[in-house]
Parts: sequence; structure tokens; C-alpha cells
Amino acid sequence: MMFKRYQNELIVAFSVLLLILALAYRSAAFSSSAESISMGKQEVSEFKELLVFKKRWLDKKTSKRVAKLEKLVPASKVTWKKKGKKLTARYKDLTPKELNKLITSILNMAVQIQVLEISNHNGSYTVEFKCKW
Amino acid sequence: MSFWENSKTLLPVYKNMAQQTLAETVNIMLTPQFYILKKVTLPVQYAFQAKKVAASMFDGLLEHPQNSDYLVYKENDDWVFIAYDLKEISHFLSTKGISADKVGKIFFAQQALSSFSTPVRLGSKDALVSMDDTVVLVPQSALEDNSKTVLMDEGFTPKNGISLHGAFNSFISQKQALGIAALFTLFAFAFFAEGWRYSQSSQNTKAEITALLEEYPTLQSAYTRQSIAAKYRNIDKNERKKRDTVKTLAGMIFKGVKVDTFKMNEKGFAVRFKCTDAKVAKHLRELAKKEGFPSVKTLTGNIVSIEEKL
Repeated sequence: MMFKRYQNELIVAFSVLLLILALAYRSAAFSSSAESISMGKQEVSEFKELLVFKKRWLDKKTSKRVAKLEKLVPASKVTWKKKGKKLTARYKDLTPKELNKLITSILNMAVQIQVLEISNHNGSYTVEFKCKW
Repeated sequence: MSFWENSKTLLPVYKNMAQQTLAETVNIMLTPQFYILKKVTLPVQYAFQAKKVAASMFDGLLEHPQNSDYLVYKENDDWVFIAYDLKEISHFLSTKGISADKVGKIFFAQQALSSFSTPVRLGSKDALVSMDDTVVLVPQSALEDNSKTVLMDEGFTPKNGISLHGAFNSFISQKQALGIAALFTLFAFAFFAEGWRYSQSSQNTKAEITALLEEYPTLQSAYTRQSIAAKYRNIDKNERKKRDTVKTLAGMIFKGVKVDTFKMNEKGFAVRFKCTDAKVAKHLRELAKKEGFPSVKTLTGNIVSIEEKL
């Protein structure tokens, strides 16, 4: 009959116990999930970054885009040598307009520029371009 | 008798009762000596509404209204208001040897009105009778036929009663206890909810990773992912640098400046600008320094040269 005698105190004690349990649960959930959330978010972020890289640098359409560089100026001005995923191209007698067009196209392409040389000969330009992808 | 029915002994409590020695918990039936009764017809539907006006029903009738509690229930068309002083009742019970821990429920005789069709004997002197739908205490000598009386038994036990709430020993009242418990419970639920939210957000991140791994099974290995990412991060960084450099150099060309030669490879670049005069060359040199090319220099023939590592 001790329960009846101290039932008010027991009610309060039970609620305090519940509060302590809830605090402990929250604290445990916070510490375990904070670390796992942080690690998980980093993993997701790295994964997504990797996918962006793959999409940009391992794009299967890059070869087709590179091929367009040959047709960008008249064929007489181009010496074209493509082997697998490597290109060596030489452009000569380019007008400033053709030069700008070519350089803009090259810069917008997801290729690794190995060599890019431009030289001016009496107002016409020569371009040496080596890249891989 | 069903399992749920109250099977405890029902002990009538009246002022002249003998001293008690209880081995088990009992239910208490209080005689009108311990409460004040009022019956009123009120235009209210629910007991909680009637209970709100209970205190005003006993204005001027109670010795210590601040110590009083009220029991309200409906009897036919009337509302029955019972005012009682729990401390006084507790004190009286203790003087008769009935400790709080031996008290189950406390009932009022009026609650068992229908059971008082026959007078109920209380000890050798008193009796409880029903008069005008009210249970009253009378001397046994006032009864017409003393032989037609019964003793109170468990059959008199009403459905609802009150509790002592540990009135003897509690440091806090039941109201305070319930208030504190409600507050703590509320906080506890808030903490549980917060904890659950934390675990859920952790689950969401895990689910996102699982979904990505299922979509790209070739990237299951963290080592492979890190290795590929490191390789392409480096390529991305270098190629961005090359393109940014070309764009910056192109932005430095203005009237009177022409590109003479430009060479760029994996390691660095070298550029020579041909300027129309020394003034243009000077301006270009200042611009190059501003753009972050400290190696800029002017050569003979108004040629401005820059050579930098990437």
C-alpha cells in the first residue's frame, strides 16, 4: 500500500523518469545521427561530384564534338590527325574571325588541352592544337 | 461478480463509529455527517459545466470553502452537488485507526440512494434512511419498526467514488502532481519527437546513398570512387585554369594590341603581344599586372611578353 500513500510523488517520479529517458534518447539519437548525417552528406556530395566529373570528362559525345573542329574552317587550312582519343591538328592562314571561332569552340569542349599554340604571320594566324579526352 | 467490479468491503463511516483495526483495504461510505448536499435543477448538459458553478452553490454554507472539494452528478432531472473537506475526512479516519493506505475509494451515502429503501443500521444508535430522495442520518429510536433494518454491505457500493490521493503523507497535492507530470510528459514527448527526427534524417541520407549505389553499381567501392574523383578533380581544376587564362588574356586585347605568339601546354603558357606604341605597351603591362601576371615585361619593338606557370 506504499503506492497509495505516495502516489502523487510516484506520479511525479514517473514523469521525471520519462523525461530523463526522452532526454537520453534524444541525446543518443543526436550524437549517433549527427556523425552519420555529416558523413552521409559528405559521401552523397562526393558521389554527386563524381557523377558531374564523369558526365563532363567521360562524355561519349566528345569524339563527335571534336570531329566538328575539322569542319570549322575550309579543309585546305586544316591538317588533321586523330588517333583514338587523341587529336593533333594544325590550322594555317586563319583570319581573326576564324581564329576566334576556333578558340571559342576549343575552350567550350571537355577535352584536356595538351598544346595550344597561336602565331601571327602578317595578319593571318597559325594554330597548333593537341588534345586528348 | 465480474472481475472489474469493486469487491472490497464497504465500511460506513459516522461520527460515533467504533475504533477500527483493518487488515485489508476497504472502501468507505460517508454518512451525511461528512458532507453538505444540494440538489439543483440547472440548464446545463454536462457534469464539468455543473462543476464550474459548484463552489457558488455553497456560498456561506461552508466553514472552510478553500479546503472544500465537490462531487457533482446527475440524479433524475436534478444536479446533485456534494461539498466535502478531504482533510477533515482524512483526519477523522485517522482518529478511528483507518490509515490512508487502507482506504480504497470513498463514496457518499447519497450516491447509493436507491439502496436505502430499507433503513440501514449504523452501530447501535444511528441509522441511514432515505427521506424525500435524500439520505439522512437518524437515531434508531426514531424508526417506526426497528426490526426492519439492514446492515450495509458491498451491494451498496456506487459506481464512482473519490480517492484520498495520499492526503496523509503526500508532500504535494494531486493537482500539483498532475500539473508537474503533464509538463514533464510534454517535454518528454518533445524530446522523443526531436530524437526521432534526428534518426529519420540519418535514415534519409542512408537511403539517398543506397539509391545512388543501386543506380551506379560500378561505383560501389568507396576506394574506386575516391580514386576516380581525385583523378578527374585534378583534370577539372587544370583545364579550368587553362580556359580561364585564355579568357583573361583575350580580355586584355584592346585597340592597338595584337597577339603575336601564344603557347600553352600542361605546365604553363607564354604570350607575346605586339603593341602599336610605347603608351599602349605600358597600358597593357599595367593591365597584365592587375590581372595577376607578375612576369609581364616589355621587350624591344613594343612587344609585351608574359610567361607564367599554370
